[in-house]
Amino acid sequence: MLKPEQMSKLLIVASKDQMAPVVTELYRHNLFHIEDYVEAGAEGYDGFKIGTPLLGATEASGDLVKIRAIQNAFSIRSEDFEVKQRHKQSGLQVLIERELPAIEQEVEGLTVKRSKLETKEKEHEQKIAELTPFIGIPVDLDLYRGYLRFVVFAGYVAHEVSITVPNEMFFTKGKAGNFIIVIAPVEHRNEVERVLQEAAYQAVTIPDESGVPQERVSYYSSQITLIKKEIEDINQKLDAIKEKHASFLVACEEILKVQVEQTEAPLRFATTNETFVAEGWVPSASVETLSQALVKSTRGKIFVTVLPTDSEHDIVPVEYNNPSFAKPTQMLMDVYSRPKYSELDPTLMLSIVFPLFFGLILGDVGYGLILLAMCLGLRKFLKGEEGTQLLTVLRNASFSSIIFGLLYSEFLGFELPWSPIMFSRHLKIGSGEAGGHGPQIPELMILAIWIGLLHITLGRVLGMINHARQDHGDHRIKAVMANFGWICVMWGILMVIWSIVKMPYMPDFTTLPSIVSGVNIAAVVGAVMLIAGVVFIARDSGLELVELPTIISHVLSYARIVAVGLSSVAIAMVVNFIAIGMLISPQLENLTLVGVIFIIMGVAVFLIGHALNTALGILGGGLHSIRLHYVEFFTKFYKGGGKKYSPFGLNRRFTED
Amino acid sequence: MVAEVVAAVITDVELMKASQIGMKAIGAGLAVGITGIASGLAEMAIGSAAVGATAENKDVFGLVLLLTVIPETIVIFGLVVALLLIF
Repeated sequence: MLKPEQMSKLLIVASKDQMAPVVTELYRHNLFHIEDYVEAGAEGYDGFKIGTPLLGATEASGDLVKIRAIQNAFSIRSEDFEVKQRHKQSGLQVLIERELPAIEQEVEGLTVKRSKLETKEKEHEQKIAELTPFIGIPVDLDLYRGYLRFVVFAGYVAHEVSITVPNEMFFTKGKAGNFIIVIAPVEHRNEVERVLQEAAYQAVTIPDESGVPQERVSYYSSQITLIKKEIEDINQKLDAIKEKHASFLVACEEILKVQVEQTEAPLRFATTNETFVAEGWVPSASVETLSQALVKSTRGKIFVTVLPTDSEHDIVPVEYNNPSFAKPTQMLMDVYSRPKYSELDPTLMLSIVFPLFFGLILGDVGYGLILLAMCLGLRKFLKGEEGTQLLTVLRNASFSSIIFGLLYSEFLGFELPWSPIMFSRHLKIGSGEAGGHGPQIPELMILAIWIGLLHITLGRVLGMINHARQDHGDHRIKAVMANFGWICVMWGILMVIWSIVKMPYMPDFTTLPSIVSGVNIAAVVGAVMLIAGVVFIARDSGLELVELPTIISHVLSYARIVAVGLSSVAIAMVVNFIAIGMLISPQLENLTLVGVIFIIMGVAVFLIGHALNTALGILGGGLHSIRLHYVEFFTKFYKGGGKKYSPFGLNRRFTED
Repeated sequence: MVAEVVAAVITDVELMKASQIGMKAIGAGLAVGITGIASGLAEMAIGSAAVGATAENKDVFGLVLLLTVIPETIVIFGLVVALLLIF
């Protein structure tokens, strides 16, 4: 908790003939994060070379490329594919050799044919586009060419033209512009050209066709229909193949991926003529299991040892270590950045505080229930790991939303049968009459400010811990003190404010006896804290002092918890007022035919309005809660940039040994 | 006579109160409206860059969505001011 999984650096040395069993064993355990061996300048690795792939690597990669090509043609994504049955590896191996080439040939044949047909379709469409301008001209297409003494112009002009030299002219007005055809004797070519240029003439190629344009167009249209039908047939055939072989294909892909990864693993090891060396990271708890398994699989012909971790130079891969309820929140951490190995992992805090913020913003039983239903419903459609995690995070948030909804006494903007247990957010929209409880805005604001103060203080405390852990020597003390300084400045400012102004739900120091010229003890203490804090910060880095105003802006930024929440309450209440107060209930008193239409309109407004507000609420509640973490909280202590722990191995989904 | 003057003063006071309420409402409206425009302007550039970035690499979607809402702080401060003005 709050710390990533502890890792140990493992060194594996064995003779080359043990490479295959070692690789298989490592792959099976899916624990060993290989540190890729880089030839240049690795310390203590003089004379070592990068290994060569094991037998069968080329064939397996070749097959994998083929399978992926087929999968692409079918747009099968193994991540989205549901596991129906698991294939046996041995049986599959035979099938790959026997059936894959046939399937590949068939699919390739069909796709090539399809793309040819598609090209032809495009060509025909092009022809139709060329022919279209000529449809309005009652001339056969043969008559446009083959003259020795005449020249033919065809194209668009801005306006009608009059040509003085002898000529034959057709002019039509159409949607695309004014189309003109001029046939003139060759000797008058220049004159005609000049006149046409003045009318902004744009030439059009005369189609290489014969016959009436309209007939040609209908001929090509019928051809296109035929081609479309053929493409449809091919698609159906491909669908049939996909239906038949999809599960086989994803299983093959998995098996081949396993094979390729295994056979190519030596490319990441350091080797000599007779031996190989593999370095990597293993969760400390699993070192024993893995070492024993390796020794067993090679019958003792291997040397496995744990190397000391060098915290300065080693980049240790990071695997989260969180209780199961906090695991989905890791996704929100990865969006920002994975924690470094030496850093505090704030996932646990995020997993608790994020839903709280979400509930404070979108505290409404109705919206909470809608979101909960959406999360449970979408689970069927979102298959990937990240998608599921996001849904779980939102599901937890929806619970919080429902609980806060009960406290705020809100249901789709209506009031529940009890008065708000927490502060009221009910605006007086449409009610008109005085009385009842209005929104307690100042109290809510103070609450938000308190949350901000505590959250930021927590962030700074975590910053102190992080610096105490990561830094060394003189800088360590200074960095820790600087974080303490930030806390001092913040609370110092507060003390001064408290000694001047009286605010609800905040300590009141205005009544304390004054010491010097009307300034009381709290103000003095506050001022001292402020100055001391500034000094602490300046000792670490003078430039940081520029950031001092962020203390106020970051704390005030938490006011969004109230503001965004109130805006969604306001929208909900306005929707209710328009739908029910203005459209539905006046009509219900005395029902007429027109009234029924009004009522239907009212229901539509109600549904659309609340659908919109649900979307806005989820987006607003989620984004603003997470933003408060990323921008206001994390900047105080969190750097991130850790390397992801990706062990050598695969969790098989479609196949088994 | 006195009664008339008192009545006139009272109506004056009421009128002033009403105009004060009106002014507050206008102020609140301006606070939300102008900051809304400002947020919009700021989000415009970020949003277009975000769409471009997402087109190149889908993985950054979560991050850029977040970057896009950062200027929303401006309008939220506006909303806070408006709420404090009215209530």
